[in-house]
Amino acid sequence: MPLSLHPDLGSQLINLCSMLLLLTTFAIVAQRRLSACVDLFALQSLFLAVTAAVVAWFTDSPHIYIAALLTIAIKTVTIPMILKKVIERVNVKREIEFVINIPPSLLICGALVILAFSVTEPIAKLGFLLTRDSLAIALAIVLIGFFMMIARKKAVTQIVGFLMMENGLFLGATASAYGMPLIVELGVFFDVLVAALIIGVYTHRLQDTFDSVDTTKLTGLKE
Amino acid sequence: MGQLDTLLITAAQAVIILLMSPFVVGLIRKVKARLQCRQGANLLQPYSDLTKLLRKGVVVSTNTSWLFTATPYILFASTFAASLLVPVFLSRIPLNFAGDVITVVSLLTLGTFFLMLAGLDAGSAFGGMGSSREAIIFSLTEPAMILSIFAVGLTAGSTNLSTIVHNTALMNGILTDPPPHLMALAALFIVTLAETGRVPVDNPATHLELTMIHEAMVLEYSGRYLALIEWASAMKLLLFLTLLSNIFVPWGIATEPEPVWMAMAVGAWAVKVSALAVVIGVFESMFAKLRLFRVTDLLGVAFILALLALIFYYILRG
Amino acid sequence: MNAALLILIAAPLAACLLSLVVRTRPAMERLQLGHAVVLWAAMAAVVAGVVMGGHGGSHGEGGVSFGPLLHTDPLSAFMDLMLAFVGGTALVYASGYMGEELSRGHLNFPRYRRFFIYFDLFLFAMMLAVNLDNIALMWIAVEASTISAALSVGFDRTKAALEAGWKYIVLNFVGIALALFGTVLVYYTSEHVLGVSMEALSWVSLHRVAGELNPVVLKMAFVFVMIGYGTKAGVAPMHTWLPDAHAEAPTPISAMLSGLMLNLGLYAVLRLKSIVDPAVGPAFAGSIMLSLGLLSMAIAAAFMLIQRDYKRLLAYSSIEHMGIAFIGLGVGGPLGLFGGFFHMINHALAKSAAFYAAGMVLLRHGHKMIDRVTGLARQTPAIGGGLLLAAIALAGLPPFGLFVSEVLIATAAYRHHHGIAYLFLALLALAFATLIAPLTRMALGKPVEAQLAVAHGSDRLMTSALGINLAAMSVIGLLMPAFFLDLFMPMTALFEAKAGLP
Repeated sequence: MPLSLHPDLGSQLINLCSMLLLLTTFAIVAQRRLSACVDLFALQSLFLAVTAAVVAWFTDSPHIYIAALLTIAIKTVTIPMILKKVIERVNVKREIEFVINIPPSLLICGALVILAFSVTEPIAKLGFLLTRDSLAIALAIVLIGFFMMIARKKAVTQIVGFLMMENGLFLGATASAYGMPLIVELGVFFDVLVAALIIGVYTHRLQDTFDSVDTTKLTGLKE
Repeated sequence: MGQLDTLLITAAQAVIILLMSPFVVGLIRKVKARLQCRQGANLLQPYSDLTKLLRKGVVVSTNTSWLFTATPYILFASTFAASLLVPVFLSRIPLNFAGDVITVVSLLTLGTFFLMLAGLDAGSAFGGMGSSREAIIFSLTEPAMILSIFAVGLTAGSTNLSTIVHNTALMNGILTDPPPHLMALAALFIVTLAETGRVPVDNPATHLELTMIHEAMVLEYSGRYLALIEWASAMKLLLFLTLLSNIFVPWGIATEPEPVWMAMAVGAWAVKVSALAVVIGVFESMFAKLRLFRVTDLLGVAFILALLALIFYYILRG
Repeated sequence: MNAALLILIAAPLAACLLSLVVRTRPAMERLQLGHAVVLWAAMAAVVAGVVMGGHGGSHGEGGVSFGPLLHTDPLSAFMDLMLAFVGGTALVYASGYMGEELSRGHLNFPRYRRFFIYFDLFLFAMMLAVNLDNIALMWIAVEASTISAALSVGFDRTKAALEAGWKYIVLNFVGIALALFGTVLVYYTSEHVLGVSMEALSWVSLHRVAGELNPVVLKMAFVFVMIGYGTKAGVAPMHTWLPDAHAEAPTPISAMLSGLMLNLGLYAVLRLKSIVDPAVGPAFAGSIMLSLGLLSMAIAAAFMLIQRDYKRLLAYSSIEHMGIAFIGLGVGGPLGLFGGFFHMINHALAKSAAFYAAGMVLLRHGHKMIDRVTGLARQTPAIGGGLLLAAIALAGLPPFGLFVSEVLIATAAYRHHHGIAYLFLALLALAFATLIAPLTRMALGKPVEAQLAVAHGSDRLMTSALGINLAAMSVIGLLMPAFFLDLFMPMTALFEAKAGLP
């Protein structure tokens, strides 16, 4: 039986790719090993680049290809490399420590996904989104990244959370609004790269000063 | 569909599952061997293993009851019966009146249940340990499995496997509604790994006391009993791969009993199942086995994903 | 084309690059003082250009522009005025403060130089942010300012400073990411009206077509932007980074954060409000701002009660004052808007003056304990008097500008809802008491602690920065120059000035 092409195959493909991003997000939340977390982040960024390329193909907007290439260069290669160096340097124990353990984390993430979908539903209903679900998935990734920053103790995992939020934002910009103009994308990329570097520098200093990157030990300042 | 056709199609499906299942096991082993830079055993090695075991005599402990000898037959028969209810190359299989996805799951459960009892029956420490571990994992995978198939069933509008496959084949498979489908697919993939005792839940290649689950349960078996159990678990593996490929990517499956389409469908199915077997082989080489108490995390992911896929349908698509 | 605008933005960047090659302290001081003078001159030219009704060029309407991306309308000019003026005095102050730290051997020269590099970058990013006519590029500039300030907050590598820096990074980076999501949403709705182009991101175009934008999307965008930039503006409940960062950062940076960066966050929220209001009515954004403002005031007033560290006390006072500005601008109407804007600039001047004085106290006493510092007016009249004046202004006593703005905002709130006005006045009274009591105790009374000596040169620089700020604050409060009205009237025109909250 021949494969019948659905009329909006493009948008469904984009949905599928964005969903792969969300799945890697879940994998990162359920991950206990720090270096695996970074690898999964690199994988997620790769999926992001693929999504961007698919969007570029179906909407015929070549500038998104550049954004996709930049994503690979910066988020799949450079930033994971920096993070690996940081992990090596600060000699973090290999297992991640949790404020909230994995199973309840997963439940919370599930709830966040539902929240993201119900919040963006009025927008999806307007019907001029490129795809039905990408914006919601993007918001879900942003929220889960936010949650990661709260629920994990190590500075490095908090960086991964921040970077996941950025990935979600980029997905939102590409998959719902055909990507921002190129100059904006470039600026955002530059900022993210610098931000990752700065957090890396801070992590080093934390290690030097506190002999640990466990941020729950930062309790000196309170009322 | 005439009487003869019905009989032929059912028989063909049974034969295909029965005969192909050892091959899939061999394929996974080959992929793993290659990734470890080994030559690896012949692809047909599992067939030789089975014939060898079938010819060998049986040693049965004097402490065991009838359960021990009956279990291999029950396991084999129930798995075989389940395989008749899963569409392989034709979406509307002749036996689809006989049961839906719940029947398939309960047939598989029946086999596992008896296997756990048999593990306890011999009274050996390993058997008991294997059974208790299997029970933990089994109780966690089952809900995820049912939920993930239901999530797809909701889009297709039925719990009958045949109807699910038929309807999704008429639509676009996983592209019909990617978010819930992909979540269900991920959940069912994890369930497959857990149910068929693959890395990272269990390692089928070792007999290390600390880690083994399935192998510990069947440690007391030998000869043709062992052959039946091995064959049944190979069939179970193939059954899950078939479910994965035909529920989520039913492209190529025949929706009408036309001989040409069915022949093509067998080819498509073989390609999809082999591809999945390769994926599992790669997966097993990439990941280390999890500690038993970490397995719950993985199964938790599967459960949450399946649940999300289901809620998704009710809240956002309803 | 307006060259002054370019100079205004390029000056901090040039100063930053020149700092890289400076090798001596006198050269650095000359560079930074020169930088301050250039800033003031360029700011005066730009603000004059806008007030006189400059030629808009490609952007139409009032204001001055340079190239396709830089455009200064009255609201931007107002921010320029604040940034350049307080930024300039902060440069003067920092030259003295960091020079003293250098001569005491707390810093080596490369770190001394690095401080100014970060400082100039921070100023540059903020200057760029308020003059860009583009919502997304503004985001990039705001993020750049967040990043450069992150380097400055943890500048002293003590445990406390690092902890404050980490808190600052985590909260502000999350906030800024949420703001980007809001920005994407705005772009998403505007591209349907303006097409896929840079124009769909331009504030001028957005403002022109605001009424046609989709209200549902805009509402959501405003919520994200409010949380995001609100974190930067230090409003409760996203304020938790603020006291730590203000207390642990080097004092010139504390003054910059409090006087300028918080206002930058508020500016970004206001910009969005100006395009959300025409589409969804002023009640939506206004009531969010009003409630967050009240919450900030309540939390700040409560926490000021238990402060024992004078820099933290001033930090909480900043949260309170940002709350007041949010209330004024949220309630809207001519009184609320005017009060809010007037409050922003007066608070920037008064709070940075208070931090200047606090920094000089810190240099002389070596600690930040309120209890152990008394009798400043007798020991060092300039500092004691300066602190007292700033405290009077911050507490909202006449004759200073904050008194005027608070009265205006209370009146606007009263017209909106009596209960809110009473609550506002009660919180104001609480904050008044909790701020003025410790600060007057510090300034007056009998000295108990001996002071460390501060080199005369450094002291003169710091005192003059304090003096300039206090003078400007008094002039604005007492005389209210006419050009302020010329500037404020068109600013309020960005918002439906007559239509405040009902």
